[in-house]
Amino acid sequence: MAQALVDLLRDTFKEAVLSSHSHRGDEVVVVRRESVQEICRFLKDGEARMQLLRYIACVDLLTYDTEMTGGGALASNEVPAYDLAKKAPREPRFQLGYNVYSVVRKQSVRLRVELRSDDVKVPTVTSVWRTADWWERYLFDMFGIDFIGHPNLKRILMYPEFQGHPLRKDYPTRKRQPLVAELEFPDLIRGPGPGPGGAGVPMSQTHVGRKNVDPTTYD
Amino acid sequence: MADGRLPILRPEGNVPESPRLHPGAGEEAAVPVLLTRREDATSWFERKVSGALGWARANSIFQYPFVTACCGMEYMSVMCGRYDLARFGAEFPRFTPRQADLLMIVGTINVKQSPVLLRVYEQMCEPKWVMAFGVCASSGGFYDNYATVQGADRVIPVDVYVPGCPPRPEQVLDGLKILQEKIQTQRHALHSVERSPEMREDKKRSFLGKLLAK
Repeated sequence: MAQALVDLLRDTFKEAVLSSHSHRGDEVVVVRRESVQEICRFLKDGEARMQLLRYIACVDLLTYDTEMTGGGALASNEVPAYDLAKKAPREPRFQLGYNVYSVVRKQSVRLRVELRSDDVKVPTVTSVWRTADWWERYLFDMFGIDFIGHPNLKRILMYPEFQGHPLRKDYPTRKRQPLVAELEFPDLIRGPGPGPGGAGVPMSQTHVGRKNVDPTTYD
Repeated sequence: MADGRLPILRPEGNVPESPRLHPGAGEEAAVPVLLTRREDATSWFERKVSGALGWARANSIFQYPFVTACCGMEYMSVMCGRYDLARFGAEFPRFTPRQADLLMIVGTINVKQSPVLLRVYEQMCEPKWVMAFGVCASSGGFYDNYATVQGADRVIPVDVYVPGCPPRPEQVLDGLKILQEKIQTQRHALHSVERSPEMREDKKRSFLGKLLAK
């Protein structure tokens, strides 16, 4: 549908476009991360007129090859913590997807940027679309992606005391980081989880927040 | 009186909750103790006042709806005409915790909200009760993840748990009646409420007892 647009991108950015394919009618263009800003500016202001950034998504492919093929159920109680040694690492680990849409032309295209796990940096597109501000904060919060040049890169959903990035595949499924000291209450169904102090540590000793947290300090 | 001992006076009906009457379990509790007429009168008065207070408090529950999730729809249904929580005296939702007796936690409590919930609970005046409305407030529900408090009872003490996702309004009415029963049968002490250790030390005396002691 938007093959002409993909061809235009390929012609304009010969170096930056790595590959392209179509997945169930959605055009996907894999681009180099250094030129993401440039391509986004071209898509918005050029004749493509992609004025709407629908979303920026991120995929963690750490367990992509192993988990679906008998890698073990991560969420079960039998596997308390994620065992990285048994899994074959997959690089590049992260995939960023920019889904942009043109209201005028009624076409959409998805830009994909692949990031290696040792270098999760990508230039921000906040200067192109204002809505990218919160999407990038969201991805920083959930995946720890570092958007270079973002004006206000801090957590948007989780609290400032939260440690780690919960949607990464190596974040422990049962890990809890309570903000206030929790009452001693035995979890009869699930048992103690692998919290910050490990299994068996009372939840009241694992809170990460200050005492007497003032809710008005959170924005 | 033949052997020179004083007669043992026992109150009729309920046994007053005096520490002298219940020094411990086992044989010590079976030892008959002397109950003065003043204690007898005080405990009788406390029982009567406690029953009246329980009746009054159980039938005029002002609730503070801490609505955070989809259970709020069921809460609206409970409050509206068909199920009508007002029939049981829980007439007014008070949207300030300072005027409320019952904190209804309606919906999921996530970790970021838990300081807010704690502060709302601390702002409520004694006596106060808490109802966990729905499974998310009771146990976290199916949100077994990094963001959700696994039951509001990990943050504040909860009196009544109403299960369901969301609970039927009949379940909420049932939970309210259970809470009313609890309020009615619990002892509404005339002495000061235990808030701080220094108040617990020596001021844990009955109000009427102080009056009679003068």
